Formats: sequence, structure tokens, C-alpha cells
Amino acid sequence: MTEVNPRYTELDEEMASKELDSSPINLLEKIKQEGRVWDDLSEEYGVENPDPPWRISLESTCDALAGGYWTPFNICLPKDERKPVMADDKKIDSNERRWEEDKLVEERYADVPFPERQLLALAHSLIRRGMIDESELAEKMKLIDKRLNFGYDD
Amino acid sequence: MSDDHDHEHEHIHPPAPMVDEVSEFEVLEIAVRELAIEKGLFTQEDHNQWTDYMHTLGPAPAARLVAKAWLDPEYKKLCVEDGVKASLDVNIDWVNTMPTKFGTPSDYCNLRVMEDTPTLKHVVVCTLCSCYPRPILGQSPEWYRTPNYRRRIVRWPRQVMAEFGLQLPEDVEIRVVDSNQKSRMIVLPVRPEGTEGWTEDQLAEIVTRDCLIGVAVPKPGVTNNAKRPVRKAVNPYKH
Repeated sequence: MTEVNPRYTELDEEMASKELDSSPINLLEKIKQEGRVWDDLSEEYGVENPDPPWRISLESTCDALAGGYWTPFNICLPKDERKPVMADDKKIDSNERRWEEDKLVEERYADVPFPERQLLALAHSLIRRGMIDESELAEKMKLIDKRLNFGYDD
Repeated sequence: MSDDHDHEHEHIHPPAPMVDEVSEFEVLEIAVRELAIEKGLFTQEDHNQWTDYMHTLGPAPAARLVAKAWLDPEYKKLCVEDGVKASLDVNIDWVNTMPTKFGTPSDYCNLRVMEDTPTLKHVVVCTLCSCYPRPILGQSPEWYRTPNYRRRIVRWPRQVMAEFGLQLPEDVEIRVVDSNQKSRMIVLPVRPEGTEGWTEDQLAEIVTRDCLIGVAVPKPGVTNNAKRPVRKAVNPYKH
């Protein structure tokens, strides 16, 4: 007996053939181990908001990366009615990203709470797809950390 | 304004607590976004449109829709027949308010309102990913996104709903509705006893997000979602 959506099975087979590399990425491993998650921060500071303030921004990034929920990329349309995502479209199909998130969370980020795990998985996917580079992400983080904690150079 | 006044003012309106440190995750979120923009994966404007839009979303319009439907049989009929049209009465326009100003009632914008009866209970899932009626219900909860919920609710709905604290009699049929493909769903639960004579505002308060997904039923006095445990999937679907 199976009630699993056939499209999930199809997607699972298709994605498995792409061999997503879930091996550790040093930068993300460091964040995973040393980063302070919202559950801890909100408890320490007595904040009641269940989600970190950046959650909606992260969701928006995912939507923007997918080209939104509309037009030819609409993930809700049957596949044959959607425009295939081409390399130069610079998009990540939402179903593929969610499949990768599930897999990466299971294999690498299971101990990280949500939505921090969604963020790590997204960064992992972008790096493995070659859309961003680990070293440039590390450099960017240094700049942002400096910007947020120490301000801009005068 | 004197220091004394400021001091006194703080006692009357103490500032809300804030997280006074920058976490690595916060920095990572910004870094990923800014790099993506620099590389032309999307524009700042694209991102702003989505962020502005999503900040307006929450479960209140769906709760209002249910409350109105409980009070007005004609409106209930409209909800079941045309959820998109019924949504307009709670100020949700599925077609024109998306950031792209695009939408057709045949795909993403097709909201279906699943009406429960005393012998039929609906529960919503997205088995494929985590499709959710965000325009009328806001952001999905964590547990809704997990493979554990998505895989198990279709196979063992009665047992999984019991894990949520919802124990249904054997004579109540459970119908699991899958949000993927071309539709989004919300549940129109049965109006509970003990709410006779209530106003629309009172009724809307007890229609929680979980009631609208279908893993809870409205109860007088219950106005918040219970904290739900998130469990790892131990039986992937292939097993």
C-alpha cells in the first residue's frame, strides 16, 4: 500500500540521479557548530517572537530564487506545462530546492532547529550548484559582521 | 524633557525585550541574499516585493472567513463553491495582490475550502513539498514542512491526528487533501457547541491556524495553537 504522491517519487528518482553532494562544507559546519540559534537567543533575551526576524527575508530569497510562484516557473503547474529551468535562467526550481533541503537536513543539519536548518540547506544548495562560492560567502559574511557590529568605515 | 521624566516613563512603558546580539545565522542570511543579488540571481526589488507582501500575511483572514461562514449559510455556500471569490470578503484577493499582479483562478490562485461535517473531517498536507495557502493563512508551521508529517498523515491520518491531540470517533471519516498541483486548501471546521449567540469576532478568535489546516478543531476558550513537537521521519516512504 502506498499513498505517496507519484510526483514525489518521480522527483525523488530524478533528484537522486543528480547526486546532490551533502558532504560537509567547512564554513557551514562552523556556523552549524558555533552559531547561536533563535530558540536560544529568544530564551536568553526573553523575546516571545517564535521566529527570528530574518525568517521572512529567507522565505523571500527562496521565492525570488525560484522566479516566484507565477509565470512559467510556477511550481504548482504540472511539469509539462512549466518552462524548463535553463542554466542561464539563474533560478532554482522550488521543488528541487525543497527536495535538497529535506535531504540535507536529514543527512547534515538534523540537529539544527528550523528555520536555521532551512538557511544552511539553502546555502549548501547554492554552493554545490556553483551559484555562489564558499570562500566568497565567507568573505561576505566577514564584511556583514563588521558592518552590523562595528559600522561602516568613515 | 527631564531625566526624571524619562525614568518615570520607562516604568510605565518598559521597552519590549530585544535580542541584543548579531547571530551567525543572521549574518549568513544577509550574506546569501546580497551575494545572490550581486550575481544577478534576482534583484533587490524582487526581494522587497516578496518581503513587503509576506509581512502582511497571517491566519486572521482565514479565521474570519470561517467565522463568517458559520454565521451566514449563503456565504458558507460561496466559500465551498468559490473560495477565491469568498476570500474577497475577508480582503484577500488571490489574483491581483500577489507581488507580480498575476494570477489565474486555475492554478496557484485556486483556493478550495473543505467543509467538515459531524461525520467528515478534512486535513491538509502537501506531500510534494510544503505548498500552503499563504495569502490567506500566512507562513506554514515547521511541522507542516517536515517529511515526517507529509508522509505519515496520508498513511495513518487518524493516528497522526491523535498525536496532535485530536482523537476522532471511529465513525468520523477522515479525508486527507493534498495541496500540491493546482490548488491550495483550508478547512472549514464544524462550529463547536457552546458558541451559540457569539459574534463574528468571538468566533474568529477560536479558529486557529491548526484548525484551518485540520489537525485541530475549534473549542471555546482555545485561541492559540498548541506547541507541536517536530519528529524526524524514521520510516522513509520507500520502506
